[in-house]
Amino acid sequence: MLFIDFSRCCEKLEGISGRLEMIDIISRELPGLTDEELPIFVRFIMGRIFPDWSSQKLGIGPNLLYEAAGYVAGVKKENVITTINKTGDVGQAIEELLAEKSQTTFFHEQLDLVRVYRELTSIASQEGKKSQREKLLAVRRLLGNAHPLEGRYLARIMLEELRIGVGEGSVREAIAKAFSLDSGLVEHAMQALNDLGEVARRAKAGADALKDVHITPFHPVRMMLAQQGTIADMIADHGAVAAEFKYDGSRFQFHKKGNWARMYSRRLEDVTGALPDVIQQLLASTEHDVIIDGEVIAVKDGRPMPFQSVLRRFRRKHDVAEAQESIQLVPNVFDILYLDGATLIDLPFDERRRRLVSAVRFYIAPQVVSDNKETIEMTYREALDAGHEGIMLKVLSSPYTPGMRGKNWIKIKPAVDTLDLAVIGAEWGEGKRAHLFGSFLLACQKDGKLLPLSRVATGFSDEQLTEVYDLLKDAILSTSKKEVAFEPSLVFEVGYSEIQTSPTYEAGFALRFPRFIRIRDDKGITDIETLDGIRERYRQQAKGGGETVQK
Amino acid sequence: MLKATIDAEIFREAIDAISALVPECRLHTTDSGFSTRAVDTANVAMVSLELKKEAFESYKATKSQLGIDISKMKNIFNMAGKGDLISLELGDNAQKMQVSVHGYHYSITLLDTNTIRKDPNPPTINLPGKLTIAGEDLNNAIKAAAVISDKIAMGINAKDQTFFMIAEGDTDNIRREFSKDELKSLSANEARSLFSLDYLKDMGKVMSRAQEVEVFLGMDHPVRFSFDIANGNGHVEYLLAPRIEAD
Repeated sequence: MLFIDFSRCCEKLEGISGRLEMIDIISRELPGLTDEELPIFVRFIMGRIFPDWSSQKLGIGPNLLYEAAGYVAGVKKENVITTINKTGDVGQAIEELLAEKSQTTFFHEQLDLVRVYRELTSIASQEGKKSQREKLLAVRRLLGNAHPLEGRYLARIMLEELRIGVGEGSVREAIAKAFSLDSGLVEHAMQALNDLGEVARRAKAGADALKDVHITPFHPVRMMLAQQGTIADMIADHGAVAAEFKYDGSRFQFHKKGNWARMYSRRLEDVTGALPDVIQQLLASTEHDVIIDGEVIAVKDGRPMPFQSVLRRFRRKHDVAEAQESIQLVPNVFDILYLDGATLIDLPFDERRRRLVSAVRFYIAPQVVSDNKETIEMTYREALDAGHEGIMLKVLSSPYTPGMRGKNWIKIKPAVDTLDLAVIGAEWGEGKRAHLFGSFLLACQKDGKLLPLSRVATGFSDEQLTEVYDLLKDAILSTSKKEVAFEPSLVFEVGYSEIQTSPTYEAGFALRFPRFIRIRDDKGITDIETLDGIRERYRQQAKGGGETVQK
Repeated sequence: MLKATIDAEIFREAIDAISALVPECRLHTTDSGFSTRAVDTANVAMVSLELKKEAFESYKATKSQLGIDISKMKNIFNMAGKGDLISLELGDNAQKMQVSVHGYHYSITLLDTNTIRKDPNPPTINLPGKLTIAGEDLNNAIKAAAVISDKIAMGINAKDQTFFMIAEGDTDNIRREFSKDELKSLSANEARSLFSLDYLKDMGKVMSRAQEVEVFLGMDHPVRFSFDIANGNGHVEYLLAPRIEAD
């Protein structure tokens, strides 16, 4: 497939808002693609480059992209930024610049999907001190051969945000439709493979290839997630349920095959290097090949430490030995997804638990199984007394559904109204904070699009503002007067007193008294609150009080 | 196989001529010398270079292609003094070239030639305007223009029999006309094209060392610069695509 045809398809999708129509358009493109093109197309159309399980990063910041675009279009980088500020979108700006390009060239090579993917892969593999220059050359090469329309989508793919409103759900439906398969089967294959590209390739081969999916060690799958709920409802619906402490730490997925082990964070980043002690502990507790799910917590004098202490270790790349001594990290293992070559996610939870207990000797999280409300409530109080966040209730017959926030796992914790939102913009501060960002524009998500929801300007210490500035300064996409727009990458947890409807923000809601709680760098943009979730909270709030248990 | 020694200054001149446009190149060796042809990443400028066997103190080579990382070669020149000789040695199918200068012995890993762009074919173009100018005059005019603007018009006024260079900035402009007397030769066919100074600045530096540069121009056409290096034992040609004037 030529990249210009892919770009035209994106353009068509960008122009429509109906989900069914989108699915239809995508599904008509898929059957004509080769086995090599199919996964690339599927990932690109979602604004992704590499499989979701891969920790490979492209590593192209807006600055490098602007510089390359300027070079190719024959204008200065400042002109590129001016055009971006005018159009408000990097893709459109680069399209415009390429269209107005007054510099002629000697050759033009037609870009195709596979070539673009190969270039991006080679960009991602550049390391070391000359890598920035190599990346710059590769981006110039791509843009140098791009038509204006190709430039629009190349730029957006390189920033990994396609802005055409195609979410994973629509692409799954399109795959099912294109190859006449059940969409539940496509979804299940995605859960195990964690790469919709590979799922599409199997779907093309037929239902059998799609059914026969297994988890592969060192291809992390998404974590199963929990909803809010109540003890009473869970018992009423399911009878006996499993109760486990809800740890205030960092979620991990541990993969081991032979003596080789890797650990992945909630965002599926490889954090093995930062946690050698935890790796050793887990390696020593099993001889089997396993993939296990758990939470690592920081402990000092037998008490759990706040979440921030764990995150600090997750982020750490240097001085790991020194950090190891000051904070003791303990893994708590509560699920098993893979054991000695067998994929276990479709087994019921109680069976998985049995296999977990037989395969792993230490660090298994305690569990209480009961249909008695008082017993569960006692466990809840014990959890809080011991300094944990609350408890998790799990349906004994439930499979492990990667990436799903279903009703099979329920979290019970004291009511705190916080939301995880993406930071998409900011205003420069004033006075002594003039060189930092002062107020931040936050967004929730709907169908893969980010919708502005509120601003937050309070709750930051000076130190935190400096940290936030450092994290965001290279993500600036454009500036106009005091406003800055970011390439979305950072997630804030934000507290509020009430959700209100609002015409001011695109989401249609706004937060009353928003305040910054903390940076959630264990969460990615796709993990942020959805508009549906906010609507639900708004409804609950209107009903008078949430469903969460009050402390 | 390659075994050669060359004056460090001469080799630097050749490498500089390439590095004005590309960071890496595919160097062809034959028993009569070196040659390379490369295009910059934006497909806007091309260089072709030839360094004859006579440019070397000693030279022996078989037909081969070497992937050269230009910046690595430039590091080596930093170690060379005036009058130093550089020796280059490469075995058959070897991945590393042995380079010695001033008592230093480098073992340089060559680039995989498959990763370097294929040699571009120079387009066939007819450029009717032709002149010969001192490299230094050409470079000075480019430098003066670069202060004012990022692009420059170069052309020939057939009626006045002049070669002109005009740069327009946002507020200022600069004009330099060379009369026939200031040039070594002029075929006064009307010509005018606009070029990016980004490229010309780097080319200008290289050309400033040449006694004579032949310049070929057309109407909204590329410009070709042609000049000798290595005391006449080497030759460089630059080709630069024009910008299209907006107004």
